Amino acid sequence: MVITPVHYIVVPLLAAFAIPLLTKIYKDAARLIPGIVLFYNIIVSFNLLKYVNEHGIISETIAGWQAPWGINLVITPFTGFLASMVSVLGFIIWLYGYRFKRTLKGGLVKYYEILQMMMIAGSIGVIITGDLFNMFVFIEIVGISAYSLTAFYRGRDGAEASFKYLLIGSFASTFLLLGILIIYTQTGTLNMAQIAERMHEVPQHMKIIALIFFLISLGIEAEMFPLNGWAPDAYSQAPSPTSATFAAVVSIAGVYALIRVLFTLFDVPVNNYLMIMGFVTMLVAEIAAISQKDLKRMLAYSSIGQVGLVLIAFGIGSKLAVFGALFLMLNHAVIKSLLFMTGSYFIYNTDNKKLKSLNGIHKRLPLVSFFFSLGALAIVGFPPFAGFWSKFYILIAAGDARHVYLIVGVLGVTIIELTYYLRIVGRIYFAKEEEEPASHKPSINAIIAMSALALFILVIGVYPDLIMQPLNQAADALLNKTHYINQILSLN
Amino acid sequence: MEMLSSLLLIFLIGAITTYFVDSINRKFTGIIAFLFVLLGSLFFYSNIHIGDVFVFQLGGIEMQWGINDYSYYFSYIVLGLGVLALLYSIKYIEGKARQGYFYASFLLTILGMIGVIISQDFVSLFIFWEIMTWASFLLVIYNAYYKVKTKGIKYMIFSAIGAYAMLTAIVFIKEHYNTLLIGEAIERGAFNFQQYRYIPIFLLLGFGIKAAVMPFHVWAPAAYSKSPMSFTTIFSGAMSKMGIFGIGLVLSTFYLQHNPENFYWVKLALGWLGGITAVMGTLYALIQVDAKKLLAYSSIAQLGYIVVGLSTGTKLGVMAALYLAVLHAIFKGALFMVAGAVERQVGTTDMTKVSGLIRRMPWTFFVALVSIIALAGIPPLGGFVGKWLLYEALITESNNYFLVIVIFFSSTAAFLYSYRFLFGLFLGQEEKETEHVKEAPISMLIPMLILGIGSIIIGSFPGLIFEPAAKAMQAIGFKDVTWQMSLLSNIWGNTTHLFLISMLIFSVFIIAFLFLTLKGLKKTRYVGTKEISTSGELPKEWENFTFQHNFFKPFERAASPLYHLNMNRIWKDLGKNTEAFFGFFRKLYTGNGQTYALYVIIFLVLLLLFKDVIFS
Repeated sequence: MVITPVHYIVVPLLAAFAIPLLTKIYKDAARLIPGIVLFYNIIVSFNLLKYVNEHGIISETIAGWQAPWGINLVITPFTGFLASMVSVLGFIIWLYGYRFKRTLKGGLVKYYEILQMMMIAGSIGVIITGDLFNMFVFIEIVGISAYSLTAFYRGRDGAEASFKYLLIGSFASTFLLLGILIIYTQTGTLNMAQIAERMHEVPQHMKIIALIFFLISLGIEAEMFPLNGWAPDAYSQAPSPTSATFAAVVSIAGVYALIRVLFTLFDVPVNNYLMIMGFVTMLVAEIAAISQKDLKRMLAYSSIGQVGLVLIAFGIGSKLAVFGALFLMLNHAVIKSLLFMTGSYFIYNTDNKKLKSLNGIHKRLPLVSFFFSLGALAIVGFPPFAGFWSKFYILIAAGDARHVYLIVGVLGVTIIELTYYLRIVGRIYFAKEEEEPASHKPSINAIIAMSALALFILVIGVYPDLIMQPLNQAADALLNKTHYINQILSLN
Repeated sequence: MEMLSSLLLIFLIGAITTYFVDSINRKFTGIIAFLFVLLGSLFFYSNIHIGDVFVFQLGGIEMQWGINDYSYYFSYIVLGLGVLALLYSIKYIEGKARQGYFYASFLLTILGMIGVIISQDFVSLFIFWEIMTWASFLLVIYNAYYKVKTKGIKYMIFSAIGAYAMLTAIVFIKEHYNTLLIGEAIERGAFNFQQYRYIPIFLLLGFGIKAAVMPFHVWAPAAYSKSPMSFTTIFSGAMSKMGIFGIGLVLSTFYLQHNPENFYWVKLALGWLGGITAVMGTLYALIQVDAKKLLAYSSIAQLGYIVVGLSTGTKLGVMAALYLAVLHAIFKGALFMVAGAVERQVGTTDMTKVSGLIRRMPWTFFVALVSIIALAGIPPLGGFVGKWLLYEALITESNNYFLVIVIFFSSTAAFLYSYRFLFGLFLGQEEKETEHVKEAPISMLIPMLILGIGSIIIGSFPGLIFEPAAKAMQAIGFKDVTWQMSLLSNIWGNTTHLFLISMLIFSVFIIAFLFLTLKGLKKTRYVGTKEISTSGELPKEWENFTFQHNFFKPFERAASPLYHLNMNRIWKDLGKNTEAFFGFFRKLYTGNGQTYALYVIIFLVLLLLFKDVIFS
């Protein structure tokens, strides 16, 4: 096998160091290289996913150091699926942002491109690593890139948002490290498969304390209420491609980390906790979203709401529910990126970020408005768009588990969601236009990126079978814990 | 290629084509949309036969589309009205902005409705139901958004409540009966109030909201009157019947499977909901000044009758409901077209401003007259037959005499608004402002006339509808509708019988009309000394003494306690309170980093404190 999971980490790191040098030779290198790297990631992901689905789990030990000393990278159908998804979206977001700040002089764009690439590469690292401490390192890489990108505009608001993010993020790091420390002292290893194997030997009270530290720290990364105060500010202050990345890549990695730790490492039942906290997250986020007057903040709260639903679905825990949760993660990543992309063009064409200034904007940006409306209908879960299926499977799973109140609650919250999204659609198309500022038409690369996402929404909405098989395998891989442990221990 | 899916494909291609044709050449958009619907209808009636079934897998779920007599019956309403409404649209919408958007949404709505009636599993039913809903939402906001921007959202919120109630029911049906096929679910007793009561209740809620049943009707007046009239024709005429379609399916199945005597409360509750809907709809229709709003409220009232008919669960009652469903589609479709024609030609449908159009728009008046007669239930037109059946069903088979009184009150009061509509727009003084008004264009008149003549034919020969309706009832489980049902076969087996009744009552009306005309033939009227309406002064030429102003003021005053029962206000208060409640939650996000850090710590402490409770 020529392509190994190591490429995920080595290639972006190499590129990150090479970009400042190459920019001296060729000015556009800073823009082009991340694209090449991210595209290479897609090739790696698809090859690995195909191999894994045919031959079983890959576990790559770095430099031949065996666990517990060495680090291993694990590709299962589950992690392979998420890595492919993140790679593809990372590439599409790069394509979208290709001309971002093209006119900006100086090295700023270079840093933006490098940080953006490292954020995506770090997220993939979180997903594919099989080592707990290594996961911490990757979370830090993602975090540091994200803090700096949030402050990219160097204004007061950006700095404030970035500082909040940093503050809460350092809580996450501290607690995560504490959790890892407890686990290491108890099990004597950092390899996740080995930890999982030895977990039943750990005394109950130690286990619970470690679990709580993980829940707090990874809950912050996964934007769980009440730990998600940083998210709305960060989403709304970051440059728009970065906001899309937060929604499509970073939050996915956060949810992955939480789920991996809870499902594989610990044998403590957390289903009720996940369901309740997921529902509270969703409810509070959607309630907060409905009263927002700023488009990007609204989208940010809506993202948190979607993550809440993902957590609910994982909390239900049946095969179908996990399947639905993965489907929803995919849909959320695609649709929310589309919404952030279109939303940023709206903002670009108005002087402020307020919803009011969207009145009648479809005359200026017909295609972007169409994509936004499509995204709005899809994320609420109207058939025949992709968002419907994920919600439907989750509801069916909730019904099978007889969570009556959950179903009613989720649908009730969906009504709130629908209200604010359709308000905007109405505003875009039918509100009276105010003054007409100069128009920034979307560039061709952005149109391609948005069209690809829109096409996905339509095609999957009409024919979900295209995506069912990898999703099914991924759900199986996540739920089959003993298989995971045995495979990795034998491969080592 | 499977016929049913190609049918849907025609509408889908039509929607996409019209959307793009509009940006190339605006002239042909309407014609192309019309041709697509015509093509679809011809395709439906030539290639699709009762009993066709199409089974396939999608997303791991078995889907089944098919046609039975019951859905075939409703296809007449959807496709028939659809073709006419699009023909009417061509001129109606001419010159307005965003026609591609309008027609594309229109075709998608029709696609959704066709999908609903051909769905034989719950998932595709829900999918098409939602397509129908959002496509129609796009049309509701077409006119209304910048005027009254909450109206469209109100429609959507109520539709969503209905749709999600339905989805909840579907999820439970899957869980309790382990099937998503409607037929199998019925066989296993899913619509049964005995086992899992909430399933049929949620389903009825879902369908009932589309059928504008009290207290969930509040979206309807605004949505019906603010949409483009050519769409309201379909909206009120056909889409509300999708609700009736579902209610009929649920209720008749339930009544047929079980002894309804044990579930008297179901019958009672639904019957009264329908009855109250009818009365309140009628009362609100009376006090409207805008003709479109009057028709909107009248639609709600008429849908109330249909629900009452369905709630009886007897053959006669369901027959009455099905008959009224088609009839309502025809006459209300025609009346909304009339309102649209007046709106287009005059510019407003405010009945205090428009009057005396009879000379200007004689054909429109003819359609309005015929449809109003059908609505009011005066023989020989159809409304009479429908109401006769309904009364007969209520009196002989349900013993619910109070409900009969309520319905009777409502249909009598309906005369008042019928008269007001006719008088306000077409009779009365001719105004100077309306002198230039011309008759509506021919392409708008043709569908109106077809509907007008249709209601005459159906009224005179109700058997034309009874026959497919009887088949439809057999398709949902009624047995031997024609023969063993003494009362109904009494009417049909002996059509002259009904004709006789019609003629008898018709002659009473003729005599009364002649009497009143002859009595009022005196040319001069002497003002008595006690008449003080002008205080002895000579009225000036421009002073308005017409009936249009404060038309039913005394009635309104008399019935004022009833008008206080304003559901709209209740919902509005609910909405406001919810928003205030939300505002409290929203403040959790203070925007202060220290608070957020505090949250993290508090949450950590809480988890540590309650760890034994949470993780046990």
